[in-house]
Amino acid sequence: MSELAVEMRNVWKVYPDGTIALRGVDFTVNKGEIHGLLGENGAGKTTLMRILYGEIRPSKGLIKVFGKRVNFKGPWDAVKTGIGMVYQHFSLIPSFTVLENLYLSLTSLKRNISLDYVRKLAEEIMSKVGFDIPLDAKVEDLAIGVQQRVEILKTLMRDARVIILDEPTSVLTPIEVEELFKTLTRLKKLGITIIFISHKLKEVKRVTDRITVLRRGKVVGVVNTKDVNEVDLARMMVGREVFLKLKKTLVSPKESILAIENLWVRDDRGLDAVRGISLILRKGEILGIAGIQGNGQKELAEAIAGLRPVIKGRILLENEDITNLPPYLRYRKGLSYIPDSRSIGLILDLNVVSNSILTRLRDFVGRGTSILWGKAREFAGSLTRRFNVIVESLNTPVKYLSGGNQQKLMVGREVATLPKVIVASEPTHGLDVSATEYIRSLLIKLRDMGVAILLISSDLDEILQLSDRIAVIYEGRIMAIGKPQDFTLEKLGLLMGGVKVE
Amino acid sequence: MSKLGSLLRGWRLSEYLVIIIEVCGSIALGIGIATSLLYVLGFDPGKGMALLLGGGFTDPDYLLSRATFIMMTGLAFSIPLMAGLFNIGGEGQMYVGGLVSLLTAIYTGNLLLALIAGGAAGLALGLFIAALRVYRGVNEVISSIMLNWTLYYLTIYLITNTFYDPLAPHESIKVPLSARLGFISINGFKLHVIFPISLVFILLAYYVLYHTKIGFEIRASGLSPKAAKYASLNPERAMIYAMCLGGFFGGVAGALNVLGFTYYIDTLLTTMYGMGFDGIGVALMGRGHPIGIVFSSIFFSMLIIGGQSMQMALNAPKEVADALSGIIIMALALPYAYRMVLSYLRARRLISRGSY
Repeated sequence: MSELAVEMRNVWKVYPDGTIALRGVDFTVNKGEIHGLLGENGAGKTTLMRILYGEIRPSKGLIKVFGKRVNFKGPWDAVKTGIGMVYQHFSLIPSFTVLENLYLSLTSLKRNISLDYVRKLAEEIMSKVGFDIPLDAKVEDLAIGVQQRVEILKTLMRDARVIILDEPTSVLTPIEVEELFKTLTRLKKLGITIIFISHKLKEVKRVTDRITVLRRGKVVGVVNTKDVNEVDLARMMVGREVFLKLKKTLVSPKESILAIENLWVRDDRGLDAVRGISLILRKGEILGIAGIQGNGQKELAEAIAGLRPVIKGRILLENEDITNLPPYLRYRKGLSYIPDSRSIGLILDLNVVSNSILTRLRDFVGRGTSILWGKAREFAGSLTRRFNVIVESLNTPVKYLSGGNQQKLMVGREVATLPKVIVASEPTHGLDVSATEYIRSLLIKLRDMGVAILLISSDLDEILQLSDRIAVIYEGRIMAIGKPQDFTLEKLGLLMGGVKVE
Repeated sequence: MSKLGSLLRGWRLSEYLVIIIEVCGSIALGIGIATSLLYVLGFDPGKGMALLLGGGFTDPDYLLSRATFIMMTGLAFSIPLMAGLFNIGGEGQMYVGGLVSLLTAIYTGNLLLALIAGGAAGLALGLFIAALRVYRGVNEVISSIMLNWTLYYLTIYLITNTFYDPLAPHESIKVPLSARLGFISINGFKLHVIFPISLVFILLAYYVLYHTKIGFEIRASGLSPKAAKYASLNPERAMIYAMCLGGFFGGVAGALNVLGFTYYIDTLLTTMYGMGFDGIGVALMGRGHPIGIVFSSIFFSMLIIGGQSMQMALNAPKEVADALSGIIIMALALPYAYRMVLSYLRARRLISRGSY
């Protein structure tokens, strides 16, 4: 009955480094509907939409917009066809007024337009969709929700008939979310098609007409929203066929070593990212923090490591308050941190020796302030041997090492002195199977030696495989905590999507 | 020995060969273009090029002394750059170093004190620029350029008004004999002692940068501020250290100039003017490495002196000499540019293969 607004057939995307992001995706959106695109991190949602918006090209596949075959060379082609995109991070110039921002985005399409023309057009469209944005206010003075409306207005002024919203609610307060939903319904009434990317089950369930669920670059289902409930969606989103079993002995709970009490931490934008988390980590256990990226995991890890100030709450290491200690003193007390990115944990332009001593420089400084390079070389050599880091020479800059070898070097450096507590953030992110297995069994070995490990990962397989206890984080709060056998995949999926379950 | 061995293991011999061929090729290209330019402009190309490239060697002492100053200002630029700062203020740091060491020499007559005072003055200026950047967010390029001019005129004012020599009013009072750096003579070859002294400073810079915690902090912070922070290093502190070191060497450049070469400052600062900026080229050509800077400073010195002698012999305008030096320097940068283009093309090819 309904016409198709967007039709993507058998779309593949293979990146130059061999990563396969999309494996033959079929994606169709009816004209005038709100279509949800649901999936975990790395499922391929954003890649698919960036292809539709002409930002990246598919390796293979057919794309039709309003029945016409298209071959976008860049976003400008997509804009001309009537596709608009609102990113999670806005592309507005903060020190310009709203009007100036609108003018800027329009001049790239039509030359010789006047500010008055832009004002008239903006007011016309605002009255149609019921916006009331102060056009002469500076963007930086506006609330985030209003800025988002400016972005939507921008796409409408460029005659967008399909608007893609990438995780639009992640930056909004609950009240702003309500306002956004009202806007979306109004836009739908005007005949505009909306693609809503999200991993939040409740929101997708509430606002969309149809939903496509992606998992690992494949479509696992297309459903009418009214036919499914959140449990179905969660199962589709995280459902897994296989998981590898690593040999793991059971542990008996030992005394606690790290305690976090009602911790509040802010993100880079100054918003609360961790909202009152309390956790206890025991010796010889792996506590897995499951959750979708961007729910406060990074801020939690950085606060424990001392890289991010704590707004409220306490962190206790062996009953000693370390909340305000600088990072190197925490390090000395036996707390080490494996960051989620190798570009933070390593300095890629420096060689293997320098990187081996990066976080423990103080152990390699002799009399005065001179560095004992001989001792450092010995240490680097023993690291590479112990942790199977394959290097041509210790003088090779680490940027020439493969990702797996870089990771082994970084993890090896952090665990070499057998710390008491390890905070490991996405320790196997982007690694091949053998390197992943190596790091995972290393973490288990450390656990068996009595080290307490806080494992933060958005990879559910990893969490389920390694954890002795699992805590699910959502929007900076712990939704639930318990043994792995207390959670079914379905339940985990629901919790990660923000749905409370009994 | 083991160091050399591991260096060779990392770098295959054929790679060295390629580099040598590239460098020789680009030098030949640069000389070729320069020669044809001279020909087109109607000067004797053979004589011109011989003077440009050979003129510097007629007086090796002058060649090396001249290299001394830009070697030091080269350090003044390269060390802050390692921490991610653009120190355009080598010029001002050199003036203040020269001025303070002159005044210290006049009032105390103590050589060592004067040298240290000159370096300390440059250090203080570097510290000031870094503090403005770190604590007040003032861009170091702006503040250091403005300070260059402030110090330029301040120095001229003090020399013309207060510290001029009554017998030669366009010059300052001379450095007293007790505070002068003289010559050393090797087999009858007289050399200003400032050149060997500058090599000691180069070694000092090398030691600080590559063998101390401060140097590690500077290099790590410049390459990746995020990683440095993660490792409990402090990128802002690194900026301050780096500017202090850079300023110190800028000040030393001025002090060596006054105490060891001219023994006075003239009222137009002609003996120092422009050397801070030459240091930028020296530092870039030496790839920011202290040892590389030794060679690039001598090379620059050769071109500067050669350009001057060509100018005089051919009666050519100064601009021609500068243009020719520029062509040769640019040609030396060619292998680098060529490698960048190659890697860009390789990346393009990979991407297009990936998506189509």
